[in-house]
Amino acid sequence: MSETAHYRFPPSSAYALNRCLYALKSDRAFAERFLADAQAATSDMELTHDERADLGRMDRDALVARGAHPYLVFMAGLRLKMLAEPGTLEYF
Amino acid sequence: MLVGAFAVAHTPQLLIRPETEDRALVLRVHEAMGRVKRRLEALRPDALVVIAGDHVEAFFLDAVPALAVYVGRQCAGTFGPYRYRFDIHEGLARDIVEQGIERGFDLLYTQDAKLDYAFYVPLHFVMPEPPRPIVPLHVNVYLPPQPTPARCHAWGRALGEILHARPERLALIASGGMSHFPGTDRYASPEFDYDRGLLETLVDGRGRELARLTGEELDKRGNIELRTWITLLGAVGDARAQVYCYEPSWHHGNAVVEWPLPAGP
Repeated sequence: MSETAHYRFPPSSAYALNRCLYALKSDRAFAERFLADAQAATSDMELTHDERADLGRMDRDALVARGAHPYLVFMAGLRLKMLAEPGTLEYF
Repeated sequence: MLVGAFAVAHTPQLLIRPETEDRALVLRVHEAMGRVKRRLEALRPDALVVIAGDHVEAFFLDAVPALAVYVGRQCAGTFGPYRYRFDIHEGLARDIVEQGIERGFDLLYTQDAKLDYAFYVPLHFVMPEPPRPIVPLHVNVYLPPQPTPARCHAWGRALGEILHARPERLALIASGGMSHFPGTDRYASPEFDYDRGLLETLVDGRGRELARLTGEELDKRGNIELRTWITLLGAVGDARAQVYCYEPSWHHGNAVVEWPLPAGP
């Protein structure tokens, strides 16, 4: 798969970052702790200062450039948004 | 025996609709999925075999299987307020694993992995009454390197032979597709014309041509999830597709398709 593909091999250098995004996507309790205090929620996650800053802004392009999986960025961001601003959702 | 084969979109906006989604479009896709449900009730399957691509829910980077079979007693998953639990047809699931491995496919099996929404969004809408047990089959679509379309097609061909040899009446459902690019700068510009071309190929009964697509092509066209359809195509051979709907939203080509099979009523 080329380096220009939309979905690329996730580098091990971004493992901690992807692990955090996975938890934001799939672990509601963690996502709530992250919204309340991102620094405290991620204190044991071995993230760099710059990774934490990009996560705080959910800066997609920056996160993907670091090796974050685009789908994880997408769904983690969506879950956080749904928690912070439930808005109008129709459930079927 | 295999009595039915379907492909169904699974985008979560069909289950939980934000204001960004066109309600009339969502309801038209629901109507097409309702047709699948009624058709399944007419086909009277004993179990549903569902092929879907896990969205990094059951399988994170600690272990990335190309192909996996759920063989526990039950499987379960949650999405927002929804809680899903399905019985697994254990005898069939175990036969798929054992015979699949005998035929040269090194399948991962799990008795405890979480179930992803790619499985239960379609089942929410198409599960017939009374509910049937399922066998979830995972195909890696999101974590490169994914299995090639040729490999998916070969696995589907073996799967079809295994299902045809079983005494139960079985239906196959491929979950996912068509074109979409979640998390990328292409999110708002899927390849709808490409999808329509693919659907013409399937309506013509030339589905085996999709086995020659490359992983690069699927990625470029927003169709990495088509691997689940290509697996199904291996099982249905040259059956012609009947398109129940193709509904392009601002970010997703929503398709619902049946391949009517000779064994069906």
